[in-house]
Parts: sequence; structure tokens; C-alpha cells
Amino acid sequence: MSKVRAPKSPGRPGQASSWLATPTLVFLILVILLPLLITVVYSFLSQPSLGTGVKWVFSTDAYRQIFVQEKLDGTTAFDTRYLKVLWNSFYYAGIATITTLLLGIPVAMWIATRPVRFRAMLVLAVTLPFWTSVLIRTYAVRQILDETGPIGGFLKIIGVGNSYQILYTPWATIIGLTYTFIPFMILPVYASAERFDFRYAEAGYDLGAKRWTVLRRIVIPGIRPGIIAGIALVFIPGLGSFLQPDMLGGGKTNMIANVIANNFGQARNWPFGSALSVFLLIFTVLFVLMVTTGVRSRGDQVRLI
Amino acid sequence: MIRRSKVSRLATSSAIIAAGVLVLAACGGETTTTAPSAAAPSAAAPAASEAPAASALPATGSGELHLYSWTDYIDPAQLDAFTAETGIQVILDTYDSNETMLAKIQAGATGYDVLVPSDYMVAQMIELGLLENIGVNTLPNAANIKPNLIDVYWDPGRSYSAPYMYGTTGIGVDTTDPAVSGIASWKDYFAAGSVAGNSLDVLKDQTELVSAALRAGGVAPADLCSTDKAQYAAAQELLSTFKPKVIDSDGGIERMVKGSSKARMAWNGSVHRMTVENPNIQFVYPSDGLNLWADNFVVPVGAPDLENAKIFINWMMGPEQAGVASNFSGYDNGIIDSDPFMNDSLKTDPGVVVPADKVALISPTPSCGQEARDLYTEVFTSWQSGQ
Amino acid sequence: MTDAHLDIRQVTKTFPTPEGGVVVALDSVDLAIAEGEFFVMLGPSGCGKTSLLRCIAGLEYPDSGEILLDGSRIDDIPAYARPVNTVFQSYALFPHMSVAQNVAFGLEMERLPKNEIKSRVAAALEQVKLTGLDRRKPTQLSGGQQQRVALARALAKQPKVLLLDEPLSALDLKLRRGMQVELKRLQRETGITFVFVTHDQEEAMTMGDRIAVFNEGKIVQVGSPQEIYRRPVNGFVADFIGETNLIKVTVGSGGFIFPGGGVLARELLAEDCEVPAAGECLLAVRPEDFELVDTDAAVVGEVVDVIFTGGLIRLHVRAGDQEIVAALPSHGVVVPAVGDQTRLRPITKAARTVGS
Repeated sequence: MSKVRAPKSPGRPGQASSWLATPTLVFLILVILLPLLITVVYSFLSQPSLGTGVKWVFSTDAYRQIFVQEKLDGTTAFDTRYLKVLWNSFYYAGIATITTLLLGIPVAMWIATRPVRFRAMLVLAVTLPFWTSVLIRTYAVRQILDETGPIGGFLKIIGVGNSYQILYTPWATIIGLTYTFIPFMILPVYASAERFDFRYAEAGYDLGAKRWTVLRRIVIPGIRPGIIAGIALVFIPGLGSFLQPDMLGGGKTNMIANVIANNFGQARNWPFGSALSVFLLIFTVLFVLMVTTGVRSRGDQVRLI
Repeated sequence: MIRRSKVSRLATSSAIIAAGVLVLAACGGETTTTAPSAAAPSAAAPAASEAPAASALPATGSGELHLYSWTDYIDPAQLDAFTAETGIQVILDTYDSNETMLAKIQAGATGYDVLVPSDYMVAQMIELGLLENIGVNTLPNAANIKPNLIDVYWDPGRSYSAPYMYGTTGIGVDTTDPAVSGIASWKDYFAAGSVAGNSLDVLKDQTELVSAALRAGGVAPADLCSTDKAQYAAAQELLSTFKPKVIDSDGGIERMVKGSSKARMAWNGSVHRMTVENPNIQFVYPSDGLNLWADNFVVPVGAPDLENAKIFINWMMGPEQAGVASNFSGYDNGIIDSDPFMNDSLKTDPGVVVPADKVALISPTPSCGQEARDLYTEVFTSWQSGQ
Repeated sequence: MTDAHLDIRQVTKTFPTPEGGVVVALDSVDLAIAEGEFFVMLGPSGCGKTSLLRCIAGLEYPDSGEILLDGSRIDDIPAYARPVNTVFQSYALFPHMSVAQNVAFGLEMERLPKNEIKSRVAAALEQVKLTGLDRRKPTQLSGGQQQRVALARALAKQPKVLLLDEPLSALDLKLRRGMQVELKRLQRETGITFVFVTHDQEEAMTMGDRIAVFNEGKIVQVGSPQEIYRRPVNGFVADFIGETNLIKVTVGSGGFIFPGGGVLARELLAEDCEVPAAGECLLAVRPEDFELVDTDAAVVGEVVDVIFTGGLIRLHVRAGDQEIVAALPSHGVVVPAVGDQTRLRPITKAARTVGS
């Protein structure tokens, strides 16, 4: 957005005054910046004696607590527990990103190559899950994956289902994350694929490339902006997910958001919960920076929608 | 902590004794001296009569009442009846944990007239100066409060809070599975959960899990909030091998009934519901002790309509209303003579009735200071990250 | 026809329409193209010329018929395996690759050694005069440069046949003239068979060794530009190639009676065309094939417009119910003015019958 404005000029037709953006800016500051600021401030405060809330005394204890474990035998040690949980978050968000890529790209390509009149319908179908709350949908996934659900029932009927157990394993977490986030992959990839000129693919065939080579070297790079947007839209919220590990993974595939939630709840340690949030935020920002610098260096444009 | 499922549980005279335990434990006294007969309703009558002369409270009001309560905990039909009787419109908002409610009130949410915090949360809110002293004991229906629920540790003499529902946390066991049918204590439960292939199920609840582990380690109820690190180290050691199949406060009833989980740390009310669906499931009172919680009506400071709040709380303390509320929520309540208004299925349920020999096992859910709570967190975090 | 380089036999291609119907893009097309020929497929849009090109390239498969290259069938092998390459109308340069990467792509597909790829890329870029731009991205090039990259990319593969799908249509007139010359030069230098699709008859005349005129899924006429220009087989070709007056005349005993009453003697007709015994027929006369006459005029009418175009003056003459255009040299004749009566006649053996 350019700040250059001719003084007192009547402005070009169709060019609105930048003051029109003020309500949006105020709104963004209120809903994004302010909560973020509060989180950062809280992370540097102390715990009140009753736990809940914060005491307005500066402290870096919360950050120390991430890395230093006060063991119950009175010794201190480098704490790997939260790093492990963070790693878990990256791991599951990463796997979910890969699975949504593998499943989402073909779907997006398929939709993009349908006749125009079907596309809107198919895109609508992709967004259909958004009409219901993620909580209810996760319950539904739980019913489906349950050993008494349709999959388990089918496996029993064909006689191989006796040891079937997906629900309450890490697989269920991955399935749940994939299910939840796949629209966020399909939509931006579709937006790119729809703009993709399939004559490039024809040129590829014409120049001697086979199907997979065309896909790998021409189509995928052609829809790269959509793929990058999809990765960002899946991976970043994926890092912060906590419903799926809780409800589908049987509470055992602990992700960082579960720990943060516990500290704002039962553990009643708001500064520590805030510090963990900031910790997660730092890694998320690093990831975004990595992606955007990678994108800029290739001169690509990333479209989220 | 989400324990307000619609679960059938019952109020019987022996359950009232459990409430008596609350009082004694809070006073630091021994719990063993309370004889079942001592807490019988008839014996409680004098206590009720001690209630101060009822303050002048109109039977009807006008305007609105803003009620902030647990999800699925209060019967909307009952609220309609209240409106019909008093002319006061009730606006219901819900929360899913004490902490959620507290955070909202602390963040400055005003406009609520009545809240429904649990025991320890009442104590904390009083200490934080968040509650209005409405003199519950001066309300006309305060005479109906079960005597053992008057001098509770979180509000001795009942100035701030009126009793609502209460329940215990024990173990639901599928008796057809030999791997778990022998569970009689938390120690057995944790041991069964350290055997691969056993389908153990546990609440995702720091306080319940760690206190159970402490009890399994022989810690006395009075020491559940001790800051002695050794007992926590022992609990941590015990839990290090405990690998349940599911760690989730939610969906336990379904898993137990379907048989995908075989033994679960659970609230007595939820086990009752499991038993209704599958008679092979029984509620086990762990021999090393179990927690009891109790919810209360309170009024936050700055409530817009104090008078309506009092009318509502008083109305809910009527025996009939308490009985109706129990029928809806499935938990026992703290009001004398509500039994006649309760469903028979509740009153006669063996999963809910606390047998006389189990009463001594029950003590209040520990409401610890921050130092002990940090130790709970430490144990819980270590256990979780080891899963 | 077995000695043809590229032999198209009875190729039919249909497409379903969204409404559930069928469009016949190619209707039993036969065509033989010789090695080293600059062959132009010409026709209005939708005539089937691009469909045939895509069938040769392998981007479409014919419903029936055969396509042979040097005597062996290629219509059943996939596009990537055919020794045929295409310059696309849109160029289809891969936007994420540099110029050099674009040109190298086809060679990499042949798994050639890196050194050879490098030298062939350099040679191809030199051939199209783009040396030095190899690191640019396609978006950083002008339209003409992009065109050259597309050419280099296809030529680097050293195909047996180079297919060009209206490659110059996006260029402005001046650039297009330059590229026409360039393409002719490249074709001569490489000796590769060029099959060039265009809807621009002037371009077709300029470039083609031979031209096939398409209409409605069929080839109407194949021949050298001169043949097609001079001896169009029907009114469509006559009209599509260059400018033609299609004049409805009545066959009489003395010759052809023009609208407005003028008569053209039979002997003045081109020799190799059919003349019906009686009734009406169409005569095709190019504007430049008219001359002003004093007697025996075929066209007698009023001048309705006079347009000076430099070397020629165009007269629009109303004869009966038809307007006829004549293009006369601008010097050496007395030019009639608007409103004058004038008399014209096709020069000897210039008028042709083109059906009725």
C-alpha cells in the first residue's frame, strides 16, 4: 500500500481514501495485536498465590520453567518435556501437512479440470464441513473410527477386524488432523490450479515428458503458490490443534496446545501458559519467515484464496 | 473438568454422610468418627432450625436474572417454571469448567446474577473478593440445607453459597474382564494400567489423577495438599508405568458401555449411567480413598439484580425444586426432604448409594495452594509427556 | 501416396458439445505432406485445421483414420513419444523456468548428456537470435522474444515435423512480417518439415510452399499459393483467399449475362473451368483483374465509391443488384468519379466459374 498521496487532490476515480481502511485497522489491532500483546505481557509476570490470573510483578520464571525442571528430588535438570511436546506438535502438524498435500492436490486438480458449471458445486462441497462445528465433526470421526463403527464392523464382517484399533492411537490423531485441515489445502491449491493453464502440460507432453514428469516438473511448480498457501494454512493452525490429540488420540499424543490449555485451566499457571504460547508463536513466526523468504527468492506470488 | 453429564445418582441418607466428611476434613479433623446414624436427616433437623429468622424476601419479582452455569446442568423447563411462578425471566449462559468461569469473572465480566462454582472454587472466589455476601443462611429456605453441608470449609455457616449437586470420583469396572475385575483400589487400577493390552481409561484431570496416585501411595486425605516432595516423587514413580488406553474426560460412558474400555476413573453418576446400559459395570470405591465435590449457587460482586438472585437461590433450595434438579442432572443435592420428589431409579441405585462401610473412604477433592498445585502440575506433566 | 513424409488418411475427429450434441471437427480428412515442405493449413476458425494439428502432435486422438510418419503409424503412440514438436499459439513457455531451462526441457526428457544439452540449447538460441537472454524468465521477455523461445524449444528437439499453431497471431503486424521471413529462413536452414496453421490467408500465401484450405472439417483444396489463388475450386476458396467478386451470372447463348445487363463472352473465361449449359452460375473475378473498356463491357453500372490506396484505385460499381469492386492502376487511366457511369470487363482468362 502506497503512502504517497497528492495533497488535496480529488483522487482518481475508484481510488478510495486511505482513511476508509481505519475501521479495519482498528479491528485488526483489537483482535490480533492486543491479545498477542497481553499474552506476551502475561508471560513476564508472576503467578498469584491463588493461581488463576497474574500478579503484576516482573518475572522470567515462566520462561525458565520451559527449559529447567525442578525435579521432585530437589535437583534441577534441563527440561526436555516441553521441547518434546513442541516436537510432537511439529511432527503431527507436519504429517498432517503431508497427508493433506497428498490427498488435497489430486482433489484440487480434479475439481479444477471439471467443467466450469460443476466447479462451484464441488468447491461448495469441499467447504461443506465448515457448516458444522469442528467439535461435532471430531465426534463424528470418533464414531467412524471406533472399533464398533463402520470400519471396525466391516473388518469384522470380512474376518480381519478382531485386532482393529485405530481410535485412541496416533493414527487417529493424524486422520483427525487430515480430515479437519484438508479443505485448507484443497481450496488454495484449487485456486492456483484453476488459474493454471493446462496448455503448459500439453507443451510438456509435446516435448517428450511423460505423465509423472509433467506433473512433477510443470504442473506442481505451476500451482506452487497454492501449495505454499495450503502448507501454511494447514501447518500453522495444525501446530496449535488440541481437539484431535485429545478426542481421537486418546489424550496420549500430547501437543503443545493441550499443555497450554492445562496451564490456563487446572494447573492455573497463566504466566507459564503465556510463555508456552509465546514459545510456540516464535516457532510459528520462524516457519512463516522461512516460507516467505523462500517464496520471495523464487519470485512467486502466494495467494491464499 | 467436565463432570456435569446427565447422570443418575442418588441422594440417600448415607450419601449425606459423605457431605459430612467434607466438613470434618476441612476442619482438619478425623473422618472416622462420623457414624452413619449421626447424619441421618432426622438428626440434622436441629441444625436446620438454627437458621436465623428468614429475612423478608418477596415471592415474586420482575425483570431478568442472568444465570451462568455448567453446560447441561440445569433443566430449562425448571427455569420456565421459575419464571411462571415469580415473573423473573432467566437468561442462561454456560461454561465447561470452574477455571473458565473464574477467568471470565476475573476478566471483569459483569451482568451475571448467579454462578455455580464447585467447592474449592467458592473458597478461592471468596478469597479474591469476587462474591457477594448475600447471607444465604438468612433466606427462608436455608432451613432446608442438609446439616452437614452448612459448615463447609469453603463457606462455613453458608453466607455466600447455597448447596446444589455433589458427587464422588471412583472407578467404573467391567466385571466380565478378568484383567480388571479384581480392581479394588487406585493402586490396583494403576497397576492394571501398566499391563500392555489392558484397556484402562482415565479422566484428563490433573487434580483427580494426581490425588488418586497420592492416595495409592498411602497419603492421608489431610496430606493431599502437602508440599512434601517425597510423596509427589512416589506418585510420579507410580504413574511412570501407568499407560492407559484413553486419557479423556469425555466419552467415557460410551467407551465403557461398548466395551472398548474396561476400567475407568469416573464420577459415580457417570458410572451409574454405564450400569444402566451395561449391568456388568460397577462403581468401585477405591480402598485407598476417593474425592468428593460439591457445587454451589453464589452471587458475584456487582450482580445487577441482587434481589432476583436471592429469590432464585431461595427457590432452588425448596425440596421440590432440588428434587427436580436432581432428576435432571442425575446427581444428589444438598436439600433436606427432596427425596420424595426424586425418581425411584435414582433413589435405589446401588452404584450411587454410598454403603455405610465406604463412607469413611470419602474426603473432599483437595483444594491446594499454589505450591502444592505446582507439584501436581509437575507430576501430571511428567506423566503426560511420558505417554 | 506411400512416399509421403506425413500421411494423413481418412482422419475423423468429433467432439461432444455441452448440450449433448456432436461437433465434427475433422471429416475423413486425407492429406499428404512431403519432407522438407513448408505446409500451411488455412481456414476460418473452427474449420478443423487446429484439430488436425493436435492429432498430429498427439494431443488429441482421432476417432478413426491413420496418421503415418515416414510410413509408420504414429496416431496410436502418445505425444511424448512422437518425433514431432509444436510451437503453441500461446507459446506455453513454462513460467517457472528460465529461457535456457525451457529450451533444455525437451532435451532433458531425451536423457541426453548435460554437455550436449548445453550446446544444443546454445545452438537453438543462436538460431533464433536470442543469445544472451538464456537466464531471463519468460515474463521478462517481449512477445516476439517469447515467440523465439518457443521456436527454439521446439527446434532444439530436432523434430521430423514442426507443428506451428497460429504462432504469429499475437504479434503486431510489423513483428509478424519479420517473423514470417525468419520462419521461412529457419525452415530452409533446418530442412525440417513445417506444418503451419493460420487463419490469415495473406500469411498463408506468403509462407506456404503448399496450402490446404479447410472448411467445416474438410479440406476444400490443396495446392500452391498460386494455384489456390488463381484456380480456386469453389466460391469459398475464391472468397477466402484474397479478394474476389463473386458475381451471379446467367448463362446465355452469347456468354455470361452479368447483373445490370453486361455480357462476358465465353472465350474470355479461364480455360480449365466447367461451364454449365444453361441457368445461373457464379463467376469469381479478382478486383485487380478488371479493366476499363469502351465496348463489350461485362459490368455496366454507376460508380458508388472511389478509394485511392496508393498503387491502386478501388472502384465500387453498382451493377444491377450487386456491387462489384475493381482495383485499377492509379496511373495511365482516367479515373471515373462517384456518380459516373462506367464500363468494366475481366481481363482475358481471369474470370472463373465457381459453381452456382
